[in-house]
Amino acid sequence: MTSETAYLLYFAFALGGAGVYFLLPRGAETRPTVGALFGAGSLIALLLVLSTRVITPDHTTYYFYLFSTLAIASAVRVITHPRPVYSALYFILVVVSVAALLVLLEAEFLAVAAIIVYAGAIMVTYLFVIMLAQQSSTPHYDSRSREPLLAVMIGFILMAAIATRAADITTSHTATNQSRPHAASPVMLVTDSATDESLAGNDKAKPVGNTLLVAASIMTRYVVVLEIAGVLLLVSMVGAIALSRKRVPMEGYRPAVTPLGQIGKEVEPF
Amino acid sequence: MWEFLTSQMGISIVLAAVVFGVMQGVVAYAIYFERKIAAWIQDRCGPNRVGPLGLLQPIADGLKFVFKEDVIPGQVDKILFVLAPTIMFIIAFIGLAAIPWGGQWEVGGKLLNIQVANPDIGLLYLLGVGSMGVYGVVLGGWASNNKYSFFGAIRATAQMLSYEIPMGLCIVIVVLTVGSLRLEDIILPQTQYWFGAIPQWNIFLHPLVFLILFITMLAEANRAPFDLAEAEQELVGGFHTEYSALKFGMFFLGEYAHMITASAFISVMFLGGWHLPWLPWAQPEATSLAAVITKMLILGGKVVGFLFLMMWIRWTLPRFRFDQLMRLAWLGLIPMTLGLFMITVGLLYFGLHRNWVWTCGGDAVILALSLLYVAVSRREITGRSPGAGAIGVGAVAG
Repeated sequence: MTSETAYLLYFAFALGGAGVYFLLPRGAETRPTVGALFGAGSLIALLLVLSTRVITPDHTTYYFYLFSTLAIASAVRVITHPRPVYSALYFILVVVSVAALLVLLEAEFLAVAAIIVYAGAIMVTYLFVIMLAQQSSTPHYDSRSREPLLAVMIGFILMAAIATRAADITTSHTATNQSRPHAASPVMLVTDSATDESLAGNDKAKPVGNTLLVAASIMTRYVVVLEIAGVLLLVSMVGAIALSRKRVPMEGYRPAVTPLGQIGKEVEPF
Repeated sequence: MWEFLTSQMGISIVLAAVVFGVMQGVVAYAIYFERKIAAWIQDRCGPNRVGPLGLLQPIADGLKFVFKEDVIPGQVDKILFVLAPTIMFIIAFIGLAAIPWGGQWEVGGKLLNIQVANPDIGLLYLLGVGSMGVYGVVLGGWASNNKYSFFGAIRATAQMLSYEIPMGLCIVIVVLTVGSLRLEDIILPQTQYWFGAIPQWNIFLHPLVFLILFITMLAEANRAPFDLAEAEQELVGGFHTEYSALKFGMFFLGEYAHMITASAFISVMFLGGWHLPWLPWAQPEATSLAAVITKMLILGGKVVGFLFLMMWIRWTLPRFRFDQLMRLAWLGLIPMTLGLFMITVGLLYFGLHRNWVWTCGGDAVILALSLLYVAVSRREITGRSPGAGAIGVGAVAG
């Protein structure tokens, strides 16, 4: 990466930080128009950086720009919207845009998994809790950000560091290795172990699917990570159940004794 | 032009337009169908004033939806109030994109899929779209700023979150049996025969899984006996209390479109999709235009059959109470599907997952165990038990 691109990247993040700072809800001091202008400038600078790196633009490139802009803009709205319900909805928009980006990368499985897990399950629960907690107006302490300047500075400096480093890595990759860095071993693994045996009577050679590749790499290369994640989920589930159980005094406990064959007979109709 | 129309891209675009257009009409007539069936079951005449046999009733209803005053109450959250029916409508229709309507069509030496999109993960796509469907109901109920609407929305959320778990497990069982997430690949093994006569439809492999999936589909589509989100006696109109005119119409269309998607989905999963035994035009080898049309009609017939079943159930069974509904999901269907899942994994390990004796045996074992549990545990089947509320809300909010 040239130093000009790096400075352009830093400039983009500085603009973005200023934009988010002005957009963050601080009551009457919020300047949405100024923030939006800074944000737009930041996005344009980012586009300039990206345009130096696109080698052969095709139609997916435009979809990439569309969805990544949507993702960034709605991500900013997640943290700057004063009302939590809207923040949650903007987060769903982020998840859907990221899923679209994953589809562009031909990672359909990950895309749909992200939608099912985040947009379909987690955010529904969040929305549920938010809606139960506050039905009409947002209280004062929830609709103002506390340390906007500090938060913006820390966040955007970290982001700039990560982004310049990531840009460096991908440039060296494309410089040394023109082919896409696909994980080679799962492909070989899958093609080795006669993939579509279960598809009985289907002699046609089938292209190896996305799901098979993901499954193969999870079950071979990343199996330890998978098991650790499984244990973690189990622990958190046990913890959640332990926390949410009510303590019921034992002396008041009366098990329902109904003779076999008379189930439901002596229950009063309501 | 013909060149474009007979490419996969062209056929996808044409099919998307046709499916969208036809579905609007089908949905409108599904409402007519439902009213006629309700009348038939209750020994009435049903709609018979507009046109012959009342056949123009859906058009009159549609006009009424369009021309009525579209009231937006003063206290609502305007953006979300308008967004909610839109989400409901869109989500209900985009699910149809992955349904394989008519197998393959051979034209100009190419094989075209009669399907809007044939992604590798068609099943997961449908699952993801279905899981987004709850937002329409939740946002509608919340944005209305009305206690009854809000209760309806909360009920719908808790119900959909709970029934998504057994539904996902049922789908996993089918995926393990078939070995693919692509809907066309799920149909293909089902077009083979046992003893040269009985089709290997998944319903014969896993009848219990079919039953559970059908129950969860009813719950996901908010249909009776799971329509607590719009229980008139308790909640006025539930989440759509405040909606009128076209917005209410969109909720209505969304519900029926959801039913159609669910029916097509379960037909593909368990009844072989467009396959019909012994009919030469309904085999995977038949790729002429006539075969494609026959296959579409067969799948359409199966969908209509399921719609009829859903309506029959609605006008026959009373509604569940909410704690019963939650207990059915968490203490009934989820343990059962977990057991079925483990049995299927075991059979897969020994290579017996497509042997109907073993799979049906597994289903029978799970059914017997759950019935035995019901008999031995001596739970009160009806009646409000002291801790019932904790199962209802606590399990989901936790």
